[in-house]
Amino acid sequence: MVGPQYDLVGNPLGAVRATFERAAAAAAAESGGRDPVAAFRSKDWGASEVFRSFLFEQGGLDKVPVLDASNLGLIKPNTLVRFRGMVQDMLGNEFYAGAFKDGATWRTNKFTDFSPFSMPHPCDSHLWERHLFHCVPVPGQNSWTLDSSPGPDLRQMVNCLSPEQREKRKRDGDDDAMDVSENGNGESSSCSKKPKEDDVQIPSSSAEMPASENMPQMNGNDHHIPGSSFSCLVKIYDMPESQVKLNDVAEFIGVYTFDPELAAPNDNSDDIMYDLIEDVTAQLPPSKVPRLHCLVWRKLSSVDFLAKHPAVEPLPSLLKGIRQSLLSHLTLVLGKDDLAANCLLLHLLSRLRTRVDVVTVGRLSLNFTGFNRESVSIFGKQLNTLIQGLMPYSQAIPLSIEYLNTATLQPRKDNKSGRLVTAILQLPQGTHLTFDETLLQSGSLASKGVENTVLLKNLMESQMVEYDFEYYKLEMATDVQLLTLSEGKSNILPSDLVVPFRPSTVSEVNATSEELESWRWYLATVRSLPQSSEPEIYQTIQDEMVSAMRNDRSLGCTELSRWLTMAQITASSFGEKSLSLEHWQMVKELERLRKERMQ
Amino acid sequence: MASNGGGNSNSPYSPDVRPSSPLPATNSSPPQSARRAGGRLRRGPTSSPSLGGFETPPPPGRRIPSGAGAGRQRQNWTGRFPPTPSTPMSTDDVPPSSEAGEEDTPETDGGGVGADATPVFVWGTNISVQDVNAAILRFLRHFRDPRDAGRVDPVMDEGKYMRAIHRILELEGGESLDVDAHDVFDHDPDLYGKMVRYPLEVLAIFDIVLMDLVARMEPLFEKHIQTRIYNLKSSICLRNLNPSDIEKMVSIKGMIIRGSSVIPELKEAVFRCLVCGFYSEPVMVDRGRVTEPHICQKEQCKASNSMTLVHNRCRFADKQIIKLQETPDEIPEGGTPHTVSVLMHDKLVDAGKPGDRVEITGIYRAMSIRIGPSQRTVKSIFKTYIDCLHIKKTDKSRLHIEDSMDTDNTNASKSSEDSHVTDKIDKLKELSKLPDIYDRLTRSLAPNIWELDDVKRGLLCQLFGGNALRLPSGANFRGDINILLVGDPGTSKSQLLQYMHKLSPRGIYTSGRGSSAVGLTAYVAKDPETGETVLESGALVLSDKGVCCIDEFDKMSDNARSMLHEVMEQQTVSIAKAGIIASLNARTSVLACANPSESRYNPRLSVIDNIHLPPTLLSRFDLIYLILDKADEQTDRRLAKHIVSLHFENPEVVEHQVLDLPTLVAYISYARKFIQPKLSDEAAEELTRGYVEMRKRGNNPGSRKKVITATARQIESLIRLSEALARMRFSEVVGVRDVAEAFRLLEVAMQQSATDHATGTIDMDLIMTGVSASERQRRDNLVSAIRDLVMEKMQLGGPSMRMAELLEEVRKQSSMEVHQHDLRVALGTLQSEGSVFVHGDSFKRT
Repeated sequence: MVGPQYDLVGNPLGAVRATFERAAAAAAAESGGRDPVAAFRSKDWGASEVFRSFLFEQGGLDKVPVLDASNLGLIKPNTLVRFRGMVQDMLGNEFYAGAFKDGATWRTNKFTDFSPFSMPHPCDSHLWERHLFHCVPVPGQNSWTLDSSPGPDLRQMVNCLSPEQREKRKRDGDDDAMDVSENGNGESSSCSKKPKEDDVQIPSSSAEMPASENMPQMNGNDHHIPGSSFSCLVKIYDMPESQVKLNDVAEFIGVYTFDPELAAPNDNSDDIMYDLIEDVTAQLPPSKVPRLHCLVWRKLSSVDFLAKHPAVEPLPSLLKGIRQSLLSHLTLVLGKDDLAANCLLLHLLSRLRTRVDVVTVGRLSLNFTGFNRESVSIFGKQLNTLIQGLMPYSQAIPLSIEYLNTATLQPRKDNKSGRLVTAILQLPQGTHLTFDETLLQSGSLASKGVENTVLLKNLMESQMVEYDFEYYKLEMATDVQLLTLSEGKSNILPSDLVVPFRPSTVSEVNATSEELESWRWYLATVRSLPQSSEPEIYQTIQDEMVSAMRNDRSLGCTELSRWLTMAQITASSFGEKSLSLEHWQMVKELERLRKERMQ
Repeated sequence: MASNGGGNSNSPYSPDVRPSSPLPATNSSPPQSARRAGGRLRRGPTSSPSLGGFETPPPPGRRIPSGAGAGRQRQNWTGRFPPTPSTPMSTDDVPPSSEAGEEDTPETDGGGVGADATPVFVWGTNISVQDVNAAILRFLRHFRDPRDAGRVDPVMDEGKYMRAIHRILELEGGESLDVDAHDVFDHDPDLYGKMVRYPLEVLAIFDIVLMDLVARMEPLFEKHIQTRIYNLKSSICLRNLNPSDIEKMVSIKGMIIRGSSVIPELKEAVFRCLVCGFYSEPVMVDRGRVTEPHICQKEQCKASNSMTLVHNRCRFADKQIIKLQETPDEIPEGGTPHTVSVLMHDKLVDAGKPGDRVEITGIYRAMSIRIGPSQRTVKSIFKTYIDCLHIKKTDKSRLHIEDSMDTDNTNASKSSEDSHVTDKIDKLKELSKLPDIYDRLTRSLAPNIWELDDVKRGLLCQLFGGNALRLPSGANFRGDINILLVGDPGTSKSQLLQYMHKLSPRGIYTSGRGSSAVGLTAYVAKDPETGETVLESGALVLSDKGVCCIDEFDKMSDNARSMLHEVMEQQTVSIAKAGIIASLNARTSVLACANPSESRYNPRLSVIDNIHLPPTLLSRFDLIYLILDKADEQTDRRLAKHIVSLHFENPEVVEHQVLDLPTLVAYISYARKFIQPKLSDEAAEELTRGYVEMRKRGNNPGSRKKVITATARQIESLIRLSEALARMRFSEVVGVRDVAEAFRLLEVAMQQSATDHATGTIDMDLIMTGVSASERQRRDNLVSAIRDLVMEKMQLGGPSMRMAELLEEVRKQSSMEVHQHDLRVALGTLQSEGSVFVHGDSFKRT
């Protein structure tokens, strides 16, 4: 492709079509006119390539607006948008007439629900498929992550706004998006020409949209309240479905379409068939749930949420410094309790590494004991604020009898509507959960409460959440960090590491935003550090373990395994790629201090 | 009407006569087209109105009134989809019988069709209608089940399907002929291929051939017989259905999750004139639409817009839409199950209910979505569904289901044909034949925990379980095996429990600290001192027919423990609520583990003393294992190595010859469900012999007192254990070796738990009463020694003697070590005899 001929942001479909027609023509010439597009089934003919290079190589990503609840009505349909979210439900495949013959030319319907040209009937056509995913903003997403990759500011967004607003833009003169569109003026490229073309099918969307629908604001905690959340129906092409997993967090870049007619119910359908073979998507009205035809997508990890990628090599010396500052901050937040701060750091850095049968390796759930209602209101609150500032997704759950009896923790498939009903425990990998058990008083649990506790316990012990599919249950693997604040050791939520919390002072501490940023970078980097180790250390560790067992016969597999986990995290917290005896000794010392406290 | 039919069916066809027409010959050979149309018609009303009604893409919205053949639209739409003659269906309403009768004479065999003028091809393919026709006829006439080959029977002379047809004719009941696709394949792979690729056409021909055949055999048979194909060579996974499967015959497995109510679908409408009361001829429904006559057809009336629908004269057919969902085993990790809609007709309606696992054979179809009823524009999106031809329940694949056989026998025998399930079962059976299956199972159980092989064997027995027996007298013998693990902390007892909990079909894992036996609810309790929260849950009811794993059994409250008495012997739980005493089933095996009361097991004390549990409860455990931490460097090293490898290396700890978890679970549930071993005579003999020997062992010639080494409870345990052992080999007979192994297991367990440490012999009294025979002997000795002393030293009514003095005396006299505590007990005995009177720290002779 030589230079962007199209306004890829304003009229992505134009580019799609142009590439298709070019490819089809080429294929026709090659095959001698016999069904040239058959080869394009579940294949890209070069369209995504154009977008990929535009977005990632020419820095086009920043020009693409981010679709969210606030601008749902403002973004013009059939433009390029971005959406970051979690795959909440997989709605299966959808078949569509991917290509059809209009006279002598082949046209494509890829990346749109509507045929841009009215399809002649009858016509030659090909059925293609695409995958539907229902995506929601990530549950518990903390506000700082939203700033990490902002869309273009209003000036650039104007490009895609409704015609009235575009008038202003014209006067604005020189913005680069304009330049792009002017390059390809001969084609039906810029926004201004689009509406005419689509007049028949798509009435101006912004007029149609009542203002009230733009209301729901992104707000960390109420994603689980049904109805209030914003979601997006993403249609992904040319990919085996297994690439996307439930609860994956990803960024989808694609064409935002809005077909109000699809929303209109078939009121006078004389055909009972249409009602019965109902579509899941029928319950997702396009006015509330935008459709996104995905051109390019990528999975996101916590590193992707960092404001700017400091292209710094994670050198041990650098990491060590940040570690020290984070640790001292943690100590302050925890009322100068050094031991607790150390454990918390290890906890924050833990992640599930492998899973063998029922054994999970790498997790380190933490239970701070010695909290009561007062201390929770002081330290717990500070802790929560800090965790919110550090982790991309986090939630705090007040564990009370009432909560256990009423909350819906288990995601459940509603076979009537065909959708997965989300619940608290449908969480993306890497979520941090804090349970406040001080609220738990003696009392009876109803059967729902029992189910909920079983779920929580399962999550704690095997990092699995059981989803209810009515006729059977399905276990989904998760990787969630769990922190429990409780009065005594919690037996309902058995943590790996129990630390009696002994604060000595109460101090209000606030971290600067630079500090927070560096800590976030530190946590994300360290957690993704690869672990390798030399075989020599195996033997040393084994000897250490044997001698530890000799000294203390109560040590079992779980304790030793935890020690090793802690030692490995300690090693990576210093930026070391491999474990050394020194780290093992540090952990042993930590354990000794902890044991002292337990008595 | 009948004569009219042929002509009528042609007229809508005429637009099809164009260069691209798929069936140019249909018009040149009227009988052919009539037959085809007729076949379609017959299929239409009964099996798939959608065949005509909702042909792949053309929704009514797309119908162009201009009269351009609807057929052509469709054909071009999908490019390669064959033309289904749905148009003729609207007008052609020839009663099948009359038409069949007409054609009875000229045709003899499939060849008759072939001789007819030019060959007719299914549009867009090189499939000749005549060829297919002949092939089907050949198949129906001549297919012989290879399984029948050996038998000589005059009835067997006919082919399998001819017999089936005869049966239908005789019974007059069957309206469908089930055709095994495997048979078709065996007879004619080419026909099979065509049938799968062009099911609409081939099945239509199939129906015609079938009707011809029937008509020739029994001209008066009026019912429509439908071909139902099942058992395709390959079944497709629900999530792998893709556009290339559209309009093909597919076979998928899944679970019904939802069914719509039964919908009556209008097939033939009858109108009545409001003016003169004239009833119209039945009007066929075409694509969900019926054309209301504008004018009364009665010559004298001719009133316009006077016709009204007469509901009770119309003909309706049943229709239902069900949703089929993938079964859990087909869902990849991190995915959610896919669903597909399935359209059922007539007899298939309500053939399956939600929750059933079924295998469906049908035609995968797609239809486009109209935007509005009035609009011609069609969205580019299609809805897909399966037009069901055959449904088969495959409930047997649900291997881990409750023991009860709720499927009736006919069903069971039918579904046993299911190759997939049989495959699975065959594999399990193969496993069971391995000579080392017992060891293999032992290795597969908690492979991450070493040693403890005998404990694992016991646990295996628990998983397999013995036979529950209910005598006519009402007496119950439980088949569940209860196991108690006692041992030092850190000996992976809890892990074993966790593992068992995972394996058991309805396992419940609970901590003894918070278990009440009953109730589906739980109670959160808070320790007032430490603030630790504990959950008290009703574990036993929840684990009916499963294994109830109770950790920290020793910490269970007495209240809850007393409930266990009932559970472990009677297998019920009684609860009193609102004045009603309810007895709930709790047919559960109990697997408990307990820590010694003084953090570490004291080998000098008995089990009872080590874990303060009432002996009555203890005796209800079939096996009691002591797991002692033997401070063995070798084991420690292995553990350390294991942990290190878990963390560092790619944890491929896959040992060879170990069953993976799902297989193990399937193996156990199959055995539990289908294997009910019986004691063989030799085994019973061995059992008696061994038991007597065990009892004898107590009578050591050296010791004076008889030591009980086995009780009747043990013999029950032994039976259960040996039954479980036979089950492990899928053997219906308990053999001698099972009994021998059961004895060994029991002995190993007893050696650990019931050995009297003072004498080194096994003594069941230890468990039954908490006091070993030797201990009792010792106490008796002490009492008599004191009695002698008292008699000797003290005067009747004399001054009292202090306890300490006595202790000194006794110690002087006897070689045994005597504790003050023992002394007190002995004096208590004497007091009850009436020989002494104890008052505080002193006593006197009375």
